[in-house]
Amino acid sequence: MKRISCLLVANRGEIAVRIIRACQDLGIKTVLAASEADRESLPAKMADRVVCIGPASPTESYLKVGTLIMAAVGSGAEAVHPGYGFLAEQPELPEACARYSLIFVGPKAEQIRQMGDKILARQMAKDLGIPIISGSGLIQDLGQAIPAAEKLGYPVLLKAAAGGGGRGMKIARQPKDLEIIFTEASAEAYAAFGDSRLYLERFIPRARHIEIQIMGDQHGKIVQLGERDCSLQRRYQKMVEEAPSPVLSSDLRAAMGEAALALAHQIQYENAGTIEFLLDQDGMKFYFLEMNTRIQVEHPVTEMITGRDLVKEQILIAGGRPLSFSQEDVKLKGHSIECRINAESPQQGFRPCPGRMDLWKAPRGDGIRVDSHCYTGYFVPPHYDSLLAKVIAWGRNRLEAIVRIQKALGDFGVTGVETTIPFHRFLLRNPDFLQGAVHTRWIEDVLLKEFEQHGRDYLC
Amino acid sequence: MTSITQEDVLLILRLLDESAFDELHVETEDLKLSARKHGKGIGLEEASLAESKSEPAITREPILTEVQDQSLSAMKSAGSNAEAQLPKQTGEQSAASQGLVPIKAPMLGTFYRTPKPGAPPYVDVGSLVNEDDPVCIIEVMKLFNTVKAGVRGRIAQICAEQGQMVEFQQTLFLIEKIHEEKDQPKASCA
Repeated sequence: MKRISCLLVANRGEIAVRIIRACQDLGIKTVLAASEADRESLPAKMADRVVCIGPASPTESYLKVGTLIMAAVGSGAEAVHPGYGFLAEQPELPEACARYSLIFVGPKAEQIRQMGDKILARQMAKDLGIPIISGSGLIQDLGQAIPAAEKLGYPVLLKAAAGGGGRGMKIARQPKDLEIIFTEASAEAYAAFGDSRLYLERFIPRARHIEIQIMGDQHGKIVQLGERDCSLQRRYQKMVEEAPSPVLSSDLRAAMGEAALALAHQIQYENAGTIEFLLDQDGMKFYFLEMNTRIQVEHPVTEMITGRDLVKEQILIAGGRPLSFSQEDVKLKGHSIECRINAESPQQGFRPCPGRMDLWKAPRGDGIRVDSHCYTGYFVPPHYDSLLAKVIAWGRNRLEAIVRIQKALGDFGVTGVETTIPFHRFLLRNPDFLQGAVHTRWIEDVLLKEFEQHGRDYLC
Repeated sequence: MTSITQEDVLLILRLLDESAFDELHVETEDLKLSARKHGKGIGLEEASLAESKSEPAITREPILTEVQDQSLSAMKSAGSNAEAQLPKQTGEQSAASQGLVPIKAPMLGTFYRTPKPGAPPYVDVGSLVNEDDPVCIIEVMKLFNTVKAGVRGRIAQICAEQGQMVEFQQTLFLIEKIHEEKDQPKASCA
């Protein structure tokens, strides 16, 4: 077991703030690796030290493994926390950390590799008896795609072998679509992952996205912390997440938890991870989608209903400590909902809106948590993703959580940049949402059309 | 009409420094003041109509030449006894304007002054360098990146420590620029 006294935060924005807070609680000093554009950011003000790692462009700063390693070594940090995005799921970072005797706060490089190859991960799940959506193996070209799609039956999904998150993912409803989107999808996959390989999957309409939070230590102990329902997505980007899922029966919850644990045990998974499933609402059957080998954006809803600090736990585990709780200690209490507030204009097709924030007045209240790096006067740089804040509400039941988050979003005051707050206000009052009758395409197929007609009322 | 004192000038300069503007012009009955940021120089000139009837409050020669941002903020911190500071400022001015140019780190990494362990350093204080001369190495995970001077001149100061981490854009050296045509009046070629 190694004592971590100083940790390098290899990320920015709200997750950097979140990691620094966890370190402060643990009495660990922090060094923030910041690009030139982030030198005046909130995490930079909070960290014990800021090291400028390069210019604003991520490829010249946050994505440079060597630079981050040098920043950690040069500043005397013993550990590196990658957050999410950027290098969080690049095995090269933990490998480089090992070479320089740095602790990587995350899984082993090998585990990232095993789960990073989505076809391999599917095969592993299948071998363990975990249901997977019927699909093809690797598809080399259109010539192979057409008969494979015929065999599965339309509509089919084209997916990138190298990664998830919806990038390189396209739907084909007929053979003609396939011809057009095959090139698009492989180009998109190449741009996102440097790997253009694709495979096909049967498309399940009206599905829900449900994921299980996993936490494993270096002593072989793995626990699951229940599910998150992340069905509210726009173009495969999650917008609202909640825990527990409003539709899962306790039997189904237990079955999915068991499946997630089986997979995690198979690779002796260490640290925080998430196993994603698709739930076919027609037969209430679940299928393994993929595993994310990092802390996720939406981890707070799990924290709210379990009372566990996942980021602190990550750091302690990485230092070799055993998990601070066992499976029996995991009790789900109440309900939690999170809305992602982005610097985007919902009126203009969610166009990103970087710029100076004239006012930032985050809501407060019972059961309300806001994870953010913003403040009045902050300049939202155009170089990075548009996440400004996560508003998280907890209530004794789903209704109380909804009422609280509605109130919080009503109180939220932001001027200077456009945000998705008005869209969330609209969404949170929709009857389908209130009843939990949604699916992964509901925002695009149903809600956005209504928003175009009535959304103005929610601007203010 | 009261004449403008040096304190007033400092106040005006401070206002300019804190403002988003690059230039400022003040005109009173007997004085015209023009100030510019970014080293373009500040001149004081009397309005022609008030042709030196009374002793001008401020000497006619330019009080500050090549004012730079730093000197403006230095004056800002000088505060209340700014009047006394003024002549000294002029002295510091000329030192700052001697043309010391920084060589900045093009990347974060470990700073080495020698091409390899045990070898003599690329440069020392006083060394003359050309634009393309290597001055140091920055190591990023066993990748050695040679940094070139980028400017012709003499090493005036070494600002980073051997074997220590330097950040992106950190100043590594200060170079005293050498101008070839310095003080050489152009011979007539006609």
